[in-house]
Amino acid sequence: MSEFLGYEREDGSVGIRNHTVIVSTAPYANDTVERAADIVEDAIPITHPLGRCQTKPDVFQTYRTLLGYATHPNTYGAVVVAHAGEIVDGDELAADVAETGRPSASINIHEEKGVMNALDATVDAAQEMAIEASAQRRVPADMSKLTFGINCATSDTTSGLCQHKATAGAVWRLIDDHGGRGCFAETPEFFGGENELSERAVNDEVRQEILDRVEHWDERLQATGYDVRGAQPTPDNMDGGLTTIEEKSLGALVKSGDGPIQDIVDYGAKIPDGSGMYIMDTPGHGAESVTGIGAGGAHFMVISTGQGHTLSNAVMPTIKITGNPNSAERVPEETDVDVSEALVGDEDFDWATDQLWDEIEDVVNGKMTMSEALGESQFAIHRIGPST
Amino acid sequence: MPDRYLQVVEPSDNVATALRELEAGETVTVGVGDEERTVEVVDDVEFGHKIAIEEIADGDTIVKYGKSIGNATEDIPAGTWVHVHNVESNYGRGDLADESEAATISE
Repeated sequence: MSEFLGYEREDGSVGIRNHTVIVSTAPYANDTVERAADIVEDAIPITHPLGRCQTKPDVFQTYRTLLGYATHPNTYGAVVVAHAGEIVDGDELAADVAETGRPSASINIHEEKGVMNALDATVDAAQEMAIEASAQRRVPADMSKLTFGINCATSDTTSGLCQHKATAGAVWRLIDDHGGRGCFAETPEFFGGENELSERAVNDEVRQEILDRVEHWDERLQATGYDVRGAQPTPDNMDGGLTTIEEKSLGALVKSGDGPIQDIVDYGAKIPDGSGMYIMDTPGHGAESVTGIGAGGAHFMVISTGQGHTLSNAVMPTIKITGNPNSAERVPEETDVDVSEALVGDEDFDWATDQLWDEIEDVVNGKMTMSEALGESQFAIHRIGPST
Repeated sequence: MPDRYLQVVEPSDNVATALRELEAGETVTVGVGDEERTVEVVDDVEFGHKIAIEEIADGDTIVKYGKSIGNATEDIPAGTWVHVHNVESNYGRGDLADESEAATISE
């Protein structure tokens, strides 16, 4: 298959889903957003504790992340709900959404004279968009349009030995055979493998940038005065046999394969349109890294897990793969693809890659993932500094 | 025949990952590159955890994927369970940072 069936957007992107998103710009709009999303079929709430009393770098990062979801390839249109005048401006966000040709609406709780009127207006706007979205047909699109997000979650020692190999196989199949792109993240999980990773950069500038960002994370962690061992590996990683951050990193990097790295982009920034593999600079915190990759425009995410994980994203469907036979049995609803036969059975990693690739083909054409069927989703924007 | 459930990633590794539960006292054969090595298991080891496949001295590098994953904090005889109790990381060591540079955070 060199084509898939997707939803065309005016900005040239093609979605694999057709969501109406309702975006909160500040914590004080979260309840209105959640309530409206409960009422309107297939509306996705985007809520968070940020958007006010933040310093400039955090404001940019929050805005960029919210805009990324409001203009995601899988987003049909966006209703932006603001509380009052905030540093993340609702009208500005809605205007930036409209620039991509997507329907957009801006609701302000103060201007509406309270949450009841604001809820009414939000539901009205979202309902209209959801009906319009449902009338749009899927059309054939080239697979080179697709961006493959990669993350690991509750890693254990099977991750680097098995499921990450299948993930790498599938993402490079999209890049090499179909001209698509991939994106992986979690910079603190490069510790111990950063030199080899940086050698894969397409040029010296990108190579140095990878090393600089790893060093920056090490400095940020050390500046807390605490040992990273207090936070990484996580207790679930250690249960699964991972001993140090270096071991976790070396395993984690297996999922990126060994091909060239085109660039490293900021948290939540748009993943470039070119074909190839990109890095997003995010923490290892799964909800934050996945939220960032989603904001970057990845169409779907493969979560390569050892012990099983609920981690998922509402706008960017998440496909869970494990190579740990115990996990596939213990948390079946967190397992879209079980490739443990490649680790402890008679199958090989080409088979494992095929299993994942088949699932990807189905999901990009509309098949629900386990987490979509359950309505599981976590959203967490990474913050750089303190609130003010 | 090497035990397929004990996986050594690179020939220079000094640990193997157990893909089955190991019992103290059993003797296992581990494939290390083209060679085989016989190790007596010292501790019970859970699925996914590691054992030393050679003698590792206190302070020595623990090698997996052909790279350092930290240092031994005690002597680790072959066949011993290798985990957080006898290995330490070399990254993000805020606890080793110059105290004057480290941020003060009240406990």
